[in-house]
Amino acid sequence: MKRISHAAIAPWLTLVARLLLGGVLLAAGYLKTTNPAQAAASVRVYRVLPTGLANVFGYALPWIEIGIALLLILGIWVRYSAVAGGGLMLLFIIAIGQAWARKLAINCGCFGNGGVSADGKVHPGVYLAEMLRDLGLVLVAAYLYRFPRGKFAIDRIPEEFTEG
Amino acid sequence: MAEKKNEPNQKKNTGKGGAVGKNKGKDNGTRNLVIGMILLVVLAGAGSAIAKNRTNTHAALPSDVSVSEGYGISFNPKAPVKLDVYEDFQCPHCRDFEAVNGNYINSLVRANKMHVVFHPITLLGPESALTAAASACASDQGKFLDYHMALYKNQPTAENSGYWTNEKLALIGHSIGITSAKFDTCINTGKYATWATNVETDATAKNINSTPTVLLNGKSIPPQAEQDLASLKNLFKAAGVK
Repeated sequence: MKRISHAAIAPWLTLVARLLLGGVLLAAGYLKTTNPAQAAASVRVYRVLPTGLANVFGYALPWIEIGIALLLILGIWVRYSAVAGGGLMLLFIIAIGQAWARKLAINCGCFGNGGVSADGKVHPGVYLAEMLRDLGLVLVAAYLYRFPRGKFAIDRIPEEFTEG
Repeated sequence: MAEKKNEPNQKKNTGKGGAVGKNKGKDNGTRNLVIGMILLVVLAGAGSAIAKNRTNTHAALPSDVSVSEGYGISFNPKAPVKLDVYEDFQCPHCRDFEAVNGNYINSLVRANKMHVVFHPITLLGPESALTAAASACASDQGKFLDYHMALYKNQPTAENSGYWTNEKLALIGHSIGITSAKFDTCINTGKYATWATNVETDATAKNINSTPTVLLNGKSIPPQAEQDLASLKNLFKAAGVK
């Protein structure tokens, strides 16, 4: 049996990575557009930004997520979209981490349903799980940065980016 | 940044020849169109979300509304002790709060013993907005407190499940003795939908992140007092409610 080289499957892995990161961002964004008030509240409860800024960010974030998701899924500016998507994930990791450290009792609001946690308590297991998921997506973004050239993309990226 | 992006393209063109270069114009047309559409979706979506959540000073206002108190439904503004109740008619904890303390708070309002401002916010979504607007219609009929209680008594188990419709909200009003046709019209035309947005916008600016949030003279009361009538009464007494 012939060994499968990374170069041969990289475009497919890149496609999977794009659909994964893009799919998560698209779902997260879409679910938040249905209730902007809650999207804004879910940013406020992290107590990082002042209220006014948190609200503007909360209203805009779902649409930014959708925008990055579409670029990734369609394969446009893959390297930059991956940096943007991965950057958002890093931001979320920091936000959840500081909320955990300050013992803020919140829902992550990643897929809607943000705000103060239903029972008003801190759930470390949930925070950890959310941070690990986001970390996984940062790794996916890093792969896309290194290997942006994939199948079914609108952009044509020179071959030099496929060499592993 | 633009320069950097072009660099690899040029390398490719010089290295491998015409194929890519030939189609480049056509491809770029489609690509730019797609990029433009994505940009439009993002800007239009974010822009309208931000614009929608602004206070509309032309909103129709129900009776008993106090604009300076965040568009809340305000009772006994001259009473010395003030209670602000930020609530969502779809929120189960608000229903519990009403079940435990509703009769007591209503009795204080009716006896003019406390300045109470109700802020029906819409944190939980579209049916919260419908119920909030309907409660304002009941306020016009002088029945806010009764309607408020009836909404919680009829709260369904699931949020935004399609349970709260204009028909249902009108029926609840009829069940507590509202007979005016104006009430039904008020609900059916969504007369106070914009007002409800104003209430939400104010709560948003005041960093109200959960319901119920109950402020006694501007200070949040402890969660255990929310669900225990005796503690609530003690707090109120300490604040000077007779």
